[in-house]
Amino acid sequence: MVRRSGVLLKKVAAGISSRLAEILVCPLTKQPLRMCDKTNSLISDSIGVSYPIVDGIPRLVPSDGIILHSDQDLNSSDPPQTNSS
Amino acid sequence: MAMRSIYRGLRRNDLRFKEVREDEKSQMVGNVFTSVASSYDVMNDLMSGGLHRLWKERLVSKLNPFPGMKHLDVAGGTGDVGFRIFDSIHSVAHRAVRDGHDDNLLGETQIFVCDINPNMLRVGRKRAEDRGLGDNKSLVWVEGDAEKLTFGDATMDGYTIAFGIRNVTHIEKALAEAYRVLKPGGRFLCLGLSHVELPIFKDLYDYYSFAVIPKVGELVAGDRESYQYLVESIRRFPKQERFATMIEEAGFQKVEYENLVGGVVAIHSGLKF
Repeated sequence: MVRRSGVLLKKVAAGISSRLAEILVCPLTKQPLRMCDKTNSLISDSIGVSYPIVDGIPRLVPSDGIILHSDQDLNSSDPPQTNSS
Repeated sequence: MAMRSIYRGLRRNDLRFKEVREDEKSQMVGNVFTSVASSYDVMNDLMSGGLHRLWKERLVSKLNPFPGMKHLDVAGGTGDVGFRIFDSIHSVAHRAVRDGHDDNLLGETQIFVCDINPNMLRVGRKRAEDRGLGDNKSLVWVEGDAEKLTFGDATMDGYTIAFGIRNVTHIEKALAEAYRVLKPGGRFLCLGLSHVELPIFKDLYDYYSFAVIPKVGELVAGDRESYQYLVESIRRFPKQERFATMIEEAGFQKVEYENLVGGVVAIHSGLKF
């Protein structure tokens, strides 16, 4: 019987994500990304943008990036802002 | 007699193509694929009479995948090509002499399925789960833009794009990105709907495209507009020779193409030295 509990999926997602941070780069600057477990997203420090991971699938389309303001934690209620591309 | 009436039918058809502005194109493409995602695989079978499977087999056989390879399939949302590459690698490995090195290589294989549309990826991932590959580390699903790939320079042994290049707004950018992410020695392969020049077959194909396809789309997927868009985008895409030139301009060498079904489909390939 396949277990589809939320806990199992989350574990898998976290495991995949840390590996992904090593392989993927920021689609805009091509600089390395950093995994942020707290917000489950990949951070591009070069331009201060965070890309969400939804259902274990990282969203690395430039317009999915959320601009991080310097002294504020990433708040999920913030509206996503688009980067100019 | 029958041919003449088909001809008359074609001329009467309103073949006005909807003019699409650049900035609208990616939004429209997004909407199209969100709408068709759930019936995508069924529609492919219907529209091509199941032939799309053979075309994808041909693409993967030309790619010649190997265990341990890093491969990127762009616009591959539902995973058709990704799964085929995965299966091909795992079957070759079974035939080879089993030793510790081969097993390690198998585990190092990474097939990235990249698509701009999350719904398509979700369908793909569900298919992986249904096959028991949901946790398999070799298949990685990533949402990304073909014009701005999220992979580092020279990281891929292979790059494929199947039935996706026509949806890209700036083909040159997608080709440039393909060139960037490929390692030297890496191969580029593009499977796409292309142009038919053979005299009578061309007219039959036009009739099929403009009269039959949107109707089937309406009946099966409940979406005539998306399939109308599909057919128009095929006609607007550069012809085989022109596309081959564009691939060369991106830096690829040994650029070739193979027509299937008289040009209904073409596989373009190139090598990065």
